[in-house]
Amino acid sequence: MDILQYAWLIPLLPVLGFIIIGFFGGRMKEGGAPVAIIAAASACVLSIWVGIEILLRDLATPDEAFVMQTTWLQLTDDLTIEFGIYLDNLTAMMLIFVSILIFLIFVYSIGYMHEEGARKRRYYAEVCLFATGMFGLVVASNYLEMFIFWEIMGLCSYLLIGFWNHRPSAASAAKKAFLVTRVGDVMLMTGIIILFIEFGDLNYTHLFDRAIVDPSMGTLPWDNLQIAMLLIFGGAIGKSAQFPLHDWLPDAMEGPTTVSALIHAATMVKGGVYLVARSFPLYVQVPDVLLVIAIIGGVTAIFAASMALNNMNIKRVLAYSTISQLAYMMLALGAGGYAFYYLGYADGYSASTFHMFNHAFFKALLFLCAGSVIHAVGTEDMRKMGGLSRKMKVTSIAMLVAALSISGIPPFSGFWSKDEVLASVWNAAEANSMFYLLWALGAITAFMTAFYMFRLWFMTFAGEEGEACKHAHESPASMAGPLVVLAVFAFSSGFALFIGDGFLSRIFFGHAHDITSMELLGEIFTDWKTYLSVGLAVAGIVLAYYMYVKRSVNVDNVITSPGGAKVYKTLQQRYYFPQAFDGIGLKVIYPVAKVVDYFDKNGIDGIVNGVSGSITGFGRRLSKAQTGNVHNYAAVVIAGLSVILILAYLVGGL
Amino acid sequence: MIPIEYFLGFAAILFVIGAYGVMTAKNGIVVLMSVEIMLNAANMNFITFSSFFNDSRGQAFALISMAIAAAEVAVGLAILLNLYKSRGTTDIDEVNIMRW
Repeated sequence: MDILQYAWLIPLLPVLGFIIIGFFGGRMKEGGAPVAIIAAASACVLSIWVGIEILLRDLATPDEAFVMQTTWLQLTDDLTIEFGIYLDNLTAMMLIFVSILIFLIFVYSIGYMHEEGARKRRYYAEVCLFATGMFGLVVASNYLEMFIFWEIMGLCSYLLIGFWNHRPSAASAAKKAFLVTRVGDVMLMTGIIILFIEFGDLNYTHLFDRAIVDPSMGTLPWDNLQIAMLLIFGGAIGKSAQFPLHDWLPDAMEGPTTVSALIHAATMVKGGVYLVARSFPLYVQVPDVLLVIAIIGGVTAIFAASMALNNMNIKRVLAYSTISQLAYMMLALGAGGYAFYYLGYADGYSASTFHMFNHAFFKALLFLCAGSVIHAVGTEDMRKMGGLSRKMKVTSIAMLVAALSISGIPPFSGFWSKDEVLASVWNAAEANSMFYLLWALGAITAFMTAFYMFRLWFMTFAGEEGEACKHAHESPASMAGPLVVLAVFAFSSGFALFIGDGFLSRIFFGHAHDITSMELLGEIFTDWKTYLSVGLAVAGIVLAYYMYVKRSVNVDNVITSPGGAKVYKTLQQRYYFPQAFDGIGLKVIYPVAKVVDYFDKNGIDGIVNGVSGSITGFGRRLSKAQTGNVHNYAAVVIAGLSVILILAYLVGGL
Repeated sequence: MIPIEYFLGFAAILFVIGAYGVMTAKNGIVVLMSVEIMLNAANMNFITFSSFFNDSRGQAFALISMAIAAAEVAVGLAILLNLYKSRGTTDIDEVNIMRW
């Protein structure tokens, strides 16, 4: 039995769960949680099976995709739109980590959502639908299909951010997330339409074959391809919360923590990075766009990390951290593609996907630990926490593992991928010295990341007992279990670099990074940049230790000095982005909307109402012909008959 | 032999007299009678053609038409009788509530 034939079942299993829970969840235990978990578990088993099958194929055809399609729309004889699956190594990697995380977070939800009562049905139905969207996005075989699942995810993100929709803040955060990502989605859709016009087809296989087979310029529609790829990256900006469409992600933390962990850290926000990685054969044709991607990545990385420095909300710190880490991936993708175009190798592609793989685990773990803490203390404000490591051993150790990992301390997973990312950016500088600057931004971000991560950990788990921590206790097994499993992953997922042929020889673009594990280790540890980034990370941790545990560096002195206060306020106000959005909305969009509304009411509606009004008026007048008088009717009948006969005589020659 | 135009002309005159009666008569019974005249005009045509073309089907139609006319008169008179009982008149100009 070839399991790949059944890979299309992966997105279908959760949708079954969605339907069952949606209709019958109210009568089930825990609002249908067992159904959701069974759906997730079966999808997980199938995904891992399929993923391993793909990854273990013969190395002779490593980047060839398994494609299975059926015609969906027959527009004209030679213009069809297919629906199907496209499985290659990137898909396989995505399937593996996405399915594991979906399963673990579903299990964790049992404990976390236990007290939600009748709302649980809605929660489980929506996360099942989300799982469909995510799996569908990963296995989709063409851009239109991908876009459909992309939008399903967007919808579920909106619904789940607004899960507690009786809170005004949650309702408006959901609206904001929906509207801001919509800006990106419109760009993505425009890009897809341009691709369709230029190529007459949206299938990955067809597009990529044309792009790869013919690297000599001229055959591809260049100018339009550039615009299309830039617009598609616009979609990725929206979904992956990159500058300047980043502002929705911190607000999205209004949703339940499980949702933040699953959708807004581990899976959906990676959709943008995945989109760019998936479209890589097209992107490497347009180096200018790749430079834009790298710059946006570099800027977003440091920009988002800086806002995490002084935030007091435990989940928002993690949200900024997510943005910053996603920006790392974008930066690496941009650098890798740029290097491929000019230098012929794309190590940034492997680095980015590797970082995506590791980040999914440690960031989901960070969020779930934060959820465990919030569950215990009932607040998200870190000033009210402290000293929790004595009461919540499992959570504190799991979070420590994740924090070390994201900070890039060897041998935790984040170290390996962050090192690869920075190395790939440095390598790309050979083609354009701009990348030296971007590398520096990345390195400073690494320092900031270590600092804010340990600031978070120390404020939460170390020091004196906080005011909200009196009755805190460790979370139930259904929550602690996934934490332990994820902690193992977060620690060890970096070793994927050394399993078998290694990550880099399986997930790559162009040609494999052919290198043995020992050579790779040597390469990493003989490079001064490795020591620099580890040194920066350690410095960040030490600074956080002296600031928040020893308190020998007085934080208040820094933030009350005139310059410091200004910076502090700017960061607290998120560089005034929300105000700017509100201002633009009120001053620009609202008047435009009013004009459009006026036109709609008086122009469009005027035409519609005018047409219908004149028809009803005519009918009303015509109804007067029904006099009820028999003589009139008889006269009309006879007159009509006479007219017909006369006409027949004149015209028909009767 | 009398030419066919005479018969057809007679039928046409009968029909027009009947139509005039239907359109002008106030009394419902007179209207019914006028309708009978129009039917008879049609029957006249049937029989004329039957005779001139030597085809007996026309006579059969005329007989059927007479039977139906009898039934129609029965229904029409029943309606008028009820009308007279309920409204005390057979003047159809006064019966005009079935309208807009």
